[in-house]
Amino acid sequence: MVIRQLSAETVNRIAAGEVIERPASVVKELVENAIDAGATAIEVVTSGGGLSLIRVTDNGEGMAAADLALAVERHATSKLDDENLFDIRTLGFRGEALPSIGSVAHLEIASRQAGSRDGFRIVVDRGRKSAVAPSAGNTGTRVEVRDLFSATPARLKFLKSERAENMAVSEVVRRIAMANPAIAFTVTTGERAGLKLPAAADTADGLLSRLGRIMGREFLDDALAISGEREGIRLQGFAGLPTLHRPDQTQQYLFVNGRVVKDRLLVGAVRAAYGDLIPKGRFPLLALFVSLDPRDVDVNVHPAKSEVRFRDTAAVRSLIIGGVRASLEAAGHRASAQGGMATMDVLARAAAATATAVADDARAVVAGDAHAMHRAGGDRAGSRSASGMRLQLDSGFAEAMQAPFSAVDRSGLAAPTDAAGSGEDVWDRPLGVARAQLHETYIVAQTRDSVVIVDQHAAHERLVYERMKTMLAAGHVERQGLLIPLVVDLSEAEADALGERVAEFAELGLAIEPFGAGAVVVREVPALLGKGDVAGLVKDLAAEIVSEGAGFALKERLEAVASRMACHGSVRAGRRLTGEEMNALLREMEATPYSGQCNHGRPTYVELKLSDIERLFGRR
Amino acid sequence: MRLNIERGELLRALGHVTSVVERRTTIPILSNVLLRAKDGELSFKATDLERDVVESVKADVSSPGAVTVPAHILHDIVRKLRDGAEVEIKLNGEKERLTLTAGQAQFELQTLAPDDFPDVSAGELTHSFDITAADLKRLIEKTRFAISTEETRYYLNGIYLHTNKRDGVEMLRAVATDGHRLAQVELPLPNGASGMPGVIVPRKTVHELHRLIESSGDSVRVGVSQSKIRFEIGTVTLTSKLIDGTFPDYERVIPQGNDKVLTVSNAQFMSAVDRVSTIASERGRAVKLKIGSDKLVLSVNNPDGGSATEEIDVDYTNKPLEIGFNARYLLDIAGQLEGEEASFMLADPASPTMVRDVGDETALYVLMPMRV
Ligand SMILES: Nc1ncnc2c1ncn2[C@@H]1O[C@H](COP(=O)(O)OP(=O)(O)OP(=O)(O)O)[C@@H](O)[C@H]1O
Ligand SMILES: [Mg+2]
Repeated sequence: MVIRQLSAETVNRIAAGEVIERPASVVKELVENAIDAGATAIEVVTSGGGLSLIRVTDNGEGMAAADLALAVERHATSKLDDENLFDIRTLGFRGEALPSIGSVAHLEIASRQAGSRDGFRIVVDRGRKSAVAPSAGNTGTRVEVRDLFSATPARLKFLKSERAENMAVSEVVRRIAMANPAIAFTVTTGERAGLKLPAAADTADGLLSRLGRIMGREFLDDALAISGEREGIRLQGFAGLPTLHRPDQTQQYLFVNGRVVKDRLLVGAVRAAYGDLIPKGRFPLLALFVSLDPRDVDVNVHPAKSEVRFRDTAAVRSLIIGGVRASLEAAGHRASAQGGMATMDVLARAAAATATAVADDARAVVAGDAHAMHRAGGDRAGSRSASGMRLQLDSGFAEAMQAPFSAVDRSGLAAPTDAAGSGEDVWDRPLGVARAQLHETYIVAQTRDSVVIVDQHAAHERLVYERMKTMLAAGHVERQGLLIPLVVDLSEAEADALGERVAEFAELGLAIEPFGAGAVVVREVPALLGKGDVAGLVKDLAAEIVSEGAGFALKERLEAVASRMACHGSVRAGRRLTGEEMNALLREMEATPYSGQCNHGRPTYVELKLSDIERLFGRR
Repeated sequence: MRLNIERGELLRALGHVTSVVERRTTIPILSNVLLRAKDGELSFKATDLERDVVESVKADVSSPGAVTVPAHILHDIVRKLRDGAEVEIKLNGEKERLTLTAGQAQFELQTLAPDDFPDVSAGELTHSFDITAADLKRLIEKTRFAISTEETRYYLNGIYLHTNKRDGVEMLRAVATDGHRLAQVELPLPNGASGMPGVIVPRKTVHELHRLIESSGDSVRVGVSQSKIRFEIGTVTLTSKLIDGTFPDYERVIPQGNDKVLTVSNAQFMSAVDRVSTIASERGRAVKLKIGSDKLVLSVNNPDGGSATEEIDVDYTNKPLEIGFNARYLLDIAGQLEGEEASFMLADPASPTMVRDVGDETALYVLMPMRV
């Protein structure tokens, strides 16, 4: 056996293997360098999935000739000195990226420093460095990487299709762009002009508009601002309302000191913060930015810097949970705007189709061109914005506002009461004033500028559930004794399982005793259940306990239990409510946190803005 | 079939029978009312398969016959006719349409064959007795609030009407309970009722009956069998099936030995409960009664609504006691009391409490406390 000192080239290629996995990794390193250089506009161009060309151009501070030569050397960096390894304030710090890239591809860097008349360039071809030479160019730096991995063909085998690599490139830029709203980004992959993100203000609004461009318009409409601080750790960002969710976690972003980070901590903290507000198997959308003293976080744990290690993980975790919860709670009853939007969408589509069929010649229909149909409907709507109509509409609604309930009295509703609010301010309440009940299932309410439709069963279930949860958490559940105890027939296994947990049930307000083989007798029920279906509740719980086995601890499943109780004790759809009852329900929804969706994650109400309805009728 | 009848007579009869007709039904003929003309009388019959209501009124019948027509439509038409109008009703043989003429107005209604009209009132009744409308009303009014709506214990979805002996005297007793509270009212057994089976009269029948006796005075003839009950109220007859089940042995839950007696002024108590329970949200909140010597403090504490207390003077000499009740239930029961004073017979915070008007042994209420 002979031990040899490896050549610098080989060492660099081994290092490159860790830093540069695929074209997107190159893009990430180059874009981060541009950001570190103070750029305000960054352009990324790739072709051949990034294998034939990656070009990143920035308008940052640039490099002098001497720096340029050093930049491509290993462990050469302007960002770290030997004292401050634990105080990293830039994205780069190792001096490893450029030499790694240069060792596996043809790398050319052209740069001109701000204020200097001369620009320079340097070429590194698969590890072989050329001399620095003069070059013309704008202020800033342009880095071109060609024939990536031509020096390490084995790596090529692991790459995905060109399309997949292109997508990875734009994904990398998107993520970085989220944390840098004040920088403009453009990405062109192959022939396609891809991402174009104009610079936004460096404020919360700017951040939200950037996030909206990347995470989608829905997020923009349904995002709650998050902020919090604790022990020197700051949390900022935006979280989506619980009614907005996805089947996977891809839209949950965490940034630490401006760095894109993948951390399991986020997944767990988000789950804890949203808790039962999100249906099983669905995930909320959010982008959170944690900033803390660089000395309290180790970013040097992963070659691609995509993982970090906090000194105090628990503090970060509870900051996230607390911050997100606080905003969700403050949002209270707010349900996703998506419900309303989706409704408007459906209605608009119907309207557009009708408009086309009726008003326009049948060309579009005959041609079967759905787009044309849509356009025709839209144009028609757009061309009819007579201001006279607006006036008429306004006054019509104003008139109606002064007489809550007069319009529905005939349908057997109670006359307006104080609860219904003869006072001015009820119209300003978020859920407005109940005007009617439809199909004995939906409450229609009116606010100053919208129509609110409430699913009475879902809403009531949520209210009962929240109250139940508070009581259970306080360890104090009001119980109603049963004058005539209720015998519930179960399977023998179920009855036995319940029999073993009598004490646990008692704490939840359900007094149960075994009653011969295959039955239990219920003597007290949680008062909140009202005259709800006790037998149904007991059967549900029994079935669950049996299927979950001995590990099932009722107290750990308070939410599940409370949800069951709420479901069996709620106003069913199909019950006629008086005006007073409806308004009481609305007021209670406003006062109850999380009342915007029922326990199954469905919205409890949708709000249709008057402006949207007007648009629907072509009044705008 | 052809007849003439005064609009008022027609309206009154239809008002009595059409309320049992379900507005939404999957069996078309159940939306109809059966009209039968013979011997100077027009009879009306409507049903929902569980019960039927029949009424006969005088009419000028020129040709007998029978037909069924949509009940609510007919009722609406008659309602809109001029007061005192003379109405002619005629079945148009070939077209199977019913023509209704009043003055210049004429209506044609679609019909269904009378032979298909279901009959629930057939069958023998084993016992029958007379009872005043006022007595019957009292049996219903004081108990119906406690009828259960929960479907699992369907046998609680009605009033249990049966005979019972108190101090050797036979009584007719009505009991209803929803499992949380119970109401019991009794009166001396009318002649002919002795030995009648105990029956559970369904909630909807109870409401129909109440509506019908509201508008009539006099006496009601009641017929009962194991499976049916019939009420003859003047010219109207309501026949109903019974709930086929066994009413629980309710007497076991009526406390016998409750020795702590609290006597309150009815009006004062009721308005105090009403006031403090404003704070309780719609359901499930308790009113706490803190009972000391000759003093009662009512309080409600609603963590998300606020709290309320009110003190009233009472008669009470026993050991101090604290007990909670569902505000709604307490109000319901307070609403039934009609004497000057009511007494609460209590045992402890976990056992049933009995409430009754002082000096009235015929009605009692039992209420299970809430534990707070
Ligand atoms: N776009 C740029 N504009 C100005 N200077 C740059 C640019 N790109 C690189 N540099 C300079 O070249 C140096 C080396 O860059 P390189 O990416 O190899 O290392 P780094 O960014 O310091 O650390 P890391 O390996 O963690 O990225 C930087 O420290 C910086 O001084
Ligand atoms: Mg770098």
